[in-house]
Amino acid sequence: MPEKPIQGEKRAFMTGNEVVAWAALAAGAEIMYGYPITPQNEIMHYWTRMVPKYDRRFLQTEDELSAGFTTVGGVLAGKRAFTATAGPGNTLMQEPLSMAEAMRLPVVVVVQQRGGPSTATVIYSQQEVTMTTLGGNGEGLRVVYSTATHQELFDYTIKAFNTAWKYRFPTFVLGDGYQAKMRESLVLYDPQTRGIEMVPTEPYVGKPGLPGTDRPPTHMRNTYNVEEELYEVLEQYLADYAKAAPQIAEYDAFDTEDADLVIVSHGVVSRACKAAVKELREAGYKVGYFRPITLRPLPVDQLRETAGKCKQMMVVESANGQLDRLVKEAIFGSTVEMLSLFKPGVGITSEEVVSRVKEIKG
Amino acid sequence: MSVQPAMPKCWRIESKPHKFCPGCGHGLVLKALGQAIDELGIQDKIVFGCDIGCSLLSWDFFNCDTIQTHHGRTTPVVTGIKRANPDVIAVAYMGDGGGYAIGSQHLVNASARNERITAILVNNTQYGMTGGQMAPTTMPGQKTETSPYGRDPEKTGYPTQGPEMVAAITPEGAYVARGTVANVKQLKGFIKKALENQIAGNGFSFVEALSTCPTNWRTNAEETWNFVEKEMTKYFKVGEIKVPGPREKEGQ
Amino acid sequence: MGAIDPRVVEAYIGEYASGKSEVAVNRALDLATGGRKVVLVDLDIVEPCYTLRPIKKELEAKGITVLAWETRDTVGLGETGNVLRAENRWALRRSGDIILDVGYGVEGAKTLNLLEGSGADPDLKIFAVINIARPMTSTVNEIVQYVRDLGKVHGLINNSHLGDDTDLEIVLEGARVVGVAAEKLGLPVVATTAVDEIAALIGPVDSAGNPVRKLVRYMPRTLW
Repeated sequence: MPEKPIQGEKRAFMTGNEVVAWAALAAGAEIMYGYPITPQNEIMHYWTRMVPKYDRRFLQTEDELSAGFTTVGGVLAGKRAFTATAGPGNTLMQEPLSMAEAMRLPVVVVVQQRGGPSTATVIYSQQEVTMTTLGGNGEGLRVVYSTATHQELFDYTIKAFNTAWKYRFPTFVLGDGYQAKMRESLVLYDPQTRGIEMVPTEPYVGKPGLPGTDRPPTHMRNTYNVEEELYEVLEQYLADYAKAAPQIAEYDAFDTEDADLVIVSHGVVSRACKAAVKELREAGYKVGYFRPITLRPLPVDQLRETAGKCKQMMVVESANGQLDRLVKEAIFGSTVEMLSLFKPGVGITSEEVVSRVKEIKG
Repeated sequence: MSVQPAMPKCWRIESKPHKFCPGCGHGLVLKALGQAIDELGIQDKIVFGCDIGCSLLSWDFFNCDTIQTHHGRTTPVVTGIKRANPDVIAVAYMGDGGGYAIGSQHLVNASARNERITAILVNNTQYGMTGGQMAPTTMPGQKTETSPYGRDPEKTGYPTQGPEMVAAITPEGAYVARGTVANVKQLKGFIKKALENQIAGNGFSFVEALSTCPTNWRTNAEETWNFVEKEMTKYFKVGEIKVPGPREKEGQ
Repeated sequence: MGAIDPRVVEAYIGEYASGKSEVAVNRALDLATGGRKVVLVDLDIVEPCYTLRPIKKELEAKGITVLAWETRDTVGLGETGNVLRAENRWALRRSGDIILDVGYGVEGAKTLNLLEGSGADPDLKIFAVINIARPMTSTVNEIVQYVRDLGKVHGLINNSHLGDDTDLEIVLEGARVVGVAAEKLGLPVVATTAVDEIAALIGPVDSAGNPVRKLVRYMPRTLW
């Protein structure tokens, strides 16, 4: 047995992509499949460097369709398998991920968002929210964690494997080019020392025994005959998802109790918003901070409760309203006034948030 | 009452009779595969992946673990399984559209990487399940729903020479053959060797099977066999194309 | 000057986020402050995101020549931005001091092969920048293995840090670990580097007697 990648705890200074590779190692991920695309490449770079030392595997595929479908294969074989992608790669990844949804396969995908549409920039954006939460020709039966710090990238990459294998929905960690490339300190840890038990995996195919004699054969399909047949399957899936959603949903909020205006943001932008809310509070503005950590499922009850208490909600994102649409759907019926600060494909600073609020509040 | 020939032992009796059209070649290819699995005694090791198109109808065909995938994507799914668990014997089953059109990049790259999997591709010269459209393997002059005046090679090229391509791009250790449902015994032999090649860990193994589609060809029994035996073999040469072992030097 | 004051030619190489660019930039500026003519060369060619490009003008205003891309001269930064600038290839033919900021990559010091004349330059010194907060260079054995894999190296620099969370403890622990590794490798520790506040706490030399270089942090502003 190779040694554990992380003994106990360890302070480290690294890029977000490296954090993901270390988190996957710590989580006991056994195989990664991937195709080069910026800005996620160093996840593969570091994973492949560590593969022999810790007895893991890697396959570089011919494209993201193949990366997604081979990851599906890895999961079918019963392994903690994952892939990472961005932008146009995420677009291609939607096909295999829809198969994972159809078969309830615990595939884990790390997305480091880049500017879109198309190839656009390799740098940064939050424009892959709609695609990551609701992509494919399905019902969005998936889990999406949006991280804001390197510590969270580590924590939620580990958690993604457990969420995926516990609930059997494909699970995404949604980062971005800034998080991928920026350097920051964090604490690496062996999940066990924090009391985190990794949810055991099991093979779907290649199980022991003679199929048809010792056990039924595994026969998995994603094609059905009639509408009713599909509907029955989907009803069950949707019921499972609805039941799991409140257990999965996570958020972070402060100063919302007495706030007139609550700023809603996710991912790396929430760092700017957090700083802005603190600054505005010190300047006497009654503002609050709300950040969904899971974009799918959203923390719907908490969002609705927050919307019910404040007068205005301002959605801030590096996209043209992708989070905004999800939030509005979640709080449908609320009379809260909706405001926005959208900068598609561009970073947002706390100064910009502060000045927008001051502009609104006078 | 006539005696029915025995079904391969690894076939799943609960899903028989199978769902293919009368006269369809799929049943014969799957029979050859079933016999090869039985003879090698590997039913408990097989993971069978089937594509979309008529091949999906084999999703519950065997008493073997089976995954029905997307159009063209069986090769990467099966590759992913084999890479994660090298103990299984992985079979990717697909049609000509899945292997040579929408999934061609996967076939090309699995070949180039010499993936230790077995791909079986059923060539019936058109897209059967979607209603008989032109495929990469459609014969010159052959009428399909999307080549209503017959395939014009000037505009749409000649039939894809799949095994020849795979043979050209696979490294040493690969096994490549083209069989036909007109000779099931030979086809079974090719498939068996393809599986043995995977078990030996030599490399990629690929068998194309010339097959029949009377439904979309609109042919009676005699015309069907004429087409597969006489017409198709004008472009698609039956036989082993690449077998493991040192290549003979040119001129020898 | 000239003959009695030989040119300084130094390549800084190291792990991603080891701080090699910061050390290189500061070294170039220190030399320039001393009245020398300095050329700073950006050789980060695997997914460059923290590059000299955004601070090129600022550094040039401080009196050094910076060979790095400018945004208007390239397209698809990060994707095609890792194209080697033709001018950089000939950097060693320039007069004055040359400081090379070599990006990370599995080929390590081989990146220097891209420079004309690097094999024959008698003045070229290659320094490996080590940060023990980097998981793959956090122990003596890891550092020894890492430096051996780099190829030809003339000395080590202890640049152990945790970004904004850097404390005295990590720098001193770095000095100790890098010192032991250097001994095993038979290489000198050229310096311990640290930001002003921490450098002031250590004094002019670290616990092992290696000189301490003060750093001003430019690189956090250079993402993309």
